[in-house]
Amino acid sequence: MLIFDQLKKNDPQLRAVALLFLCGLGVLAAGLWWVQIVSAREYQAHLEKQSFRTVRIPAVRGKVLDRNGLILAENRPAYNISLYLEELRKDFDAAYLQDVARARGELKRQMDGQQRRFARKLKSQEKKAFLLSAKEKSLLRQRARYEVASNVVAQISQRLGQPLSLDATNFQRHYEARLALPLPIATNITPAQIAIFSEQCAGANGVDLEMQSTRFYPFTNIAAHIIGWLRRDDDSVEGEEAFFSYRLPDYRGELGVEFGYDKYLRGKAGVKSVVVNNVGYRQAENVWQQGEAGANVVLTIDLPLQRRAERALQIYGPTTRGALVVMEVQSGDILALASTPTLNLNDSIQGFPPGEWARRQDAVLRPERNKATQERYAPGSIFKPIVGLACLESGLDPNEMIYNPGFYQARAGVRPIQDLAPPGNYNFKEAVKHSSNTYFITKGLKTGIQNIVRLGQHLHIAERTGLQTRQENAGIFPDERKLGANWHDGDTANICIGQGKMAVTPLQMAVMIASIANGGKVLWPRLVDRVEPQDLSSTGPLVFEKGRVRDDLGVKPDNLRIVREAMIADVEESGGTGLQAAVAGLKIGGKTGTAQVMDEHNKVVADTAWFASFAGVSNESPRYAVVVMIETDPNAGSGGKTCAPIAANIYKAVLEREKSIAAKNAGLAKTN
Amino acid sequence: MFEPLFSESRSRIDRLQIGALCGLMLVGVLFVYSATMVTDAALSAPLYKQKWLLQIVWYVLGIGAATALCFVSYQTLARWGTIAYWCGMILLALVLVFGTVRFGARRWFDLRFFLFQPSEFAKLAFILALANFLSRPEAELAEPVSFWKAIGMMLLPFVLILKEPDLGSALVILPTGLVLLFVAGFPKKYLACLGGAVGILAALFLVDVLWAPPGWWQIKLENYQRQRLLVYFGTDFAPANATAEEKAAAHHLQMEKSYQVHQALISVGSGGLWGKGWHKGNQTALGFLPPGAAHNDFIFSVIAEEKGFVGSITVLTLYGLVLFTGLRTAGQARDRLGKLLAVGVVTLLFSHIFINIGMNIRIVPVTGIPLPLLSYGGSSVLGSLIAMGLLQNVYLYRKGYLT
Repeated sequence: MLIFDQLKKNDPQLRAVALLFLCGLGVLAAGLWWVQIVSAREYQAHLEKQSFRTVRIPAVRGKVLDRNGLILAENRPAYNISLYLEELRKDFDAAYLQDVARARGELKRQMDGQQRRFARKLKSQEKKAFLLSAKEKSLLRQRARYEVASNVVAQISQRLGQPLSLDATNFQRHYEARLALPLPIATNITPAQIAIFSEQCAGANGVDLEMQSTRFYPFTNIAAHIIGWLRRDDDSVEGEEAFFSYRLPDYRGELGVEFGYDKYLRGKAGVKSVVVNNVGYRQAENVWQQGEAGANVVLTIDLPLQRRAERALQIYGPTTRGALVVMEVQSGDILALASTPTLNLNDSIQGFPPGEWARRQDAVLRPERNKATQERYAPGSIFKPIVGLACLESGLDPNEMIYNPGFYQARAGVRPIQDLAPPGNYNFKEAVKHSSNTYFITKGLKTGIQNIVRLGQHLHIAERTGLQTRQENAGIFPDERKLGANWHDGDTANICIGQGKMAVTPLQMAVMIASIANGGKVLWPRLVDRVEPQDLSSTGPLVFEKGRVRDDLGVKPDNLRIVREAMIADVEESGGTGLQAAVAGLKIGGKTGTAQVMDEHNKVVADTAWFASFAGVSNESPRYAVVVMIETDPNAGSGGKTCAPIAANIYKAVLEREKSIAAKNAGLAKTN
Repeated sequence: MFEPLFSESRSRIDRLQIGALCGLMLVGVLFVYSATMVTDAALSAPLYKQKWLLQIVWYVLGIGAATALCFVSYQTLARWGTIAYWCGMILLALVLVFGTVRFGARRWFDLRFFLFQPSEFAKLAFILALANFLSRPEAELAEPVSFWKAIGMMLLPFVLILKEPDLGSALVILPTGLVLLFVAGFPKKYLACLGGAVGILAALFLVDVLWAPPGWWQIKLENYQRQRLLVYFGTDFAPANATAEEKAAAHHLQMEKSYQVHQALISVGSGGLWGKGWHKGNQTALGFLPPGAAHNDFIFSVIAEEKGFVGSITVLTLYGLVLFTGLRTAGQARDRLGKLLAVGVVTLLFSHIFINIGMNIRIVPVTGIPLPLLSYGGSSVLGSLIAMGLLQNVYLYRKGYLT
């Protein structure tokens, strides 16, 4: 054979040379084997790293629905017009060549001028001053690119009839950092503009429509505080890949249900890979992994009821500050949670109308706060049922009468606490009906603060109600262990009438009323019923347990009945402070309250009017708890006059709802 | 192996070698096409400007020149060896003064339609002249004078080419000369001393370039040449006592300079076993392998990426065939002149192949030498084909063949 013949030859020198060649080729072959076979994967990885860019594509966010399936938050497509720079590359180069030729011509003219002045040919060292430096060339390139891109933008702007501009620094920054991605020049364009663009500019080089998904709230400002809003956040979450070359805009819930259930709503981001060339221009695109759309969150809220609640709160005008909670007493499901003033959630996405941003920052109105859960107020007289319960538990006789002189004075010389109930004799029921401060303070002092505080702790008043919406205020309530030497009778007296060292949220009051109404169970309120993945066939819905019990009041059922009957008397019997809340067809029991808000000098600056109630259909056990709270000016409103009518309004809606549910059930029964 | 087809004793020309050469030329055209037809400028250029077509033209011209050479016996050619040699040296000297500068080196004469690189022809003239010189009777070679003369003949073109600067081409002269000296039949001790001296000088040279602290006697290398050596050995560009700023700047420079080698390695490595398919390689298409180098010095990377390990070994085999048929010719040469000529040509070819492919897979530092017959470039193609012509010439007049 050819090679071996040479090796066997008699000529030692040729043999040596043949061996040398064989070894040389062998070394090359071994090297090639090492690089191409053994290290192939490593080099392929290097290739991919330098020519592929990964782009994180956010998933479609899940919807938020009410208990009837009405959509409260969903996604709509938003269209942008974007520049695709890789298509303009030829134009960039052409413009650059023109600019360079022009610059060189200019320099040559200057050089000729110099030569004329010196009247001789320039030396090569001097000629160097008339050459374009690398830095100048790179600046020319930058300018050429910007000019070409601006021209394209100007053309589009003219066709659309809308002024569009391209900022030079932004453009350069995009070119340096995100060349492989499109550059938006007009965001969120109207359908008319989409039509004009598709018609006139569809074939234009380097521009195209791009679609993004944006959050849309069909009911604008209803249930705004419950739904919450989003914040721009492109980061990866746990369980997702952490490294991407680029991230497309993504959002994360900031407040409300959008925040608390963000991990269900956000879904899983997809990955797209873009092939780029050595400069960074995009050559091709490929979707590696489709994103998984987020799951839908179904609330316990009943949208028609919620709408009615929000309207009811505004019967005194759009600048009313207040809150309303409607809760199912047996299960803790929240049917409506309203707070005014409210806001339009679409504003933060579509843009604020004039004056809206200022209104949102108003320190008095505080439209962004959810007054039902985020703000705490002194409960005033609506806390008296609990005080009464504590008294009954420690042996108070509900029929015992005491005399109310129209005020309570601890001892001579101390400022008396006024009693709005007219002077006279009061038993338990009358005291509740007329909301007598004297009765409750007297009896409360006799029972002792320990018993009252213990009951309050069963209610978990100083703790959050566990909604996970980042809008929860824990409230203030005395700690049993801290009732030491610093606690005086005056403090107890204040607690008995729901003022002083305590502050609560309307939702906590709803839980309190529900516990009275349902026989002593202190429930966890439930805002979200279940989470439904997009593809229900593969995984079932994640249902959150209904009617979770947090604690028990630990009181005798008889005492609860006495309190309930007293509260029913407050609404139904004449002389009761809550008369305006009565609605035919429902057995409603409630308690009014008007708490005073004092500043640091103990001067009254505002009032908080309350009405806390429960209701059942006729003689059945109570089903609903409704708590209304309105912030008023001092002495401008009271629980009975301001809040009770709102409650009546809601109860009418509740009754209608009951009737329609009953009708639907009857209809279903018939077809069965 | 191919006995029935290529019956040696009966054919005038070395058919196996011609076959291998045709294979190589085909590969050359295919991959110059693949390497150049990626940019918009190249795709829209008129036919007469496209590089693969020009390569075919050079092949035709080269084959013509080689054939013309074969009409004259090599012994006649060798008589012109000394004149050719001195012409070559004069051209090399002239190019240092009158040549055009490209990429920082003055190696070419700009002849309007073609860049003429005298070093390619000087190499061939050198082989001719040295083979002629060494073909005198062995008794004469035993004198030290001949030995030093031979070394002188080797060093003159080496220094001239080095001055251009063209380290790569200069470097190929050394192994060719050394192998010729070896085969010529000098007494063993001369060769041993020479071998030892070369080894020591090379080691000293490397040590000086890589590790000599500034202030000591540093060999004058061009910046880019020193950087290439540093890149090959993976040494940090900045000396140990540099400030953080200098280190950062040096690191940046190092990344830039290693870029070409790094991209070549990625091209070769990502080819895998079968490659990505002809004209489907990403590295050239995406511009990572610099387009200026892809079709000449780094053409092997393109072949390796597109045809994989199988392709690379095929190319190696084709070259191997050329080399070993050349050695066979050397063994069958009629006289010592023929043997020396054949060995010289084959060693020249081998050096080119080893250094260029080695450069592509990073076992040799980057030097700017082309791959014979595959790289694009008129002078290189012409030079290689004329060298092949010489080889065929020796074969034509081999012993045992009746003229």
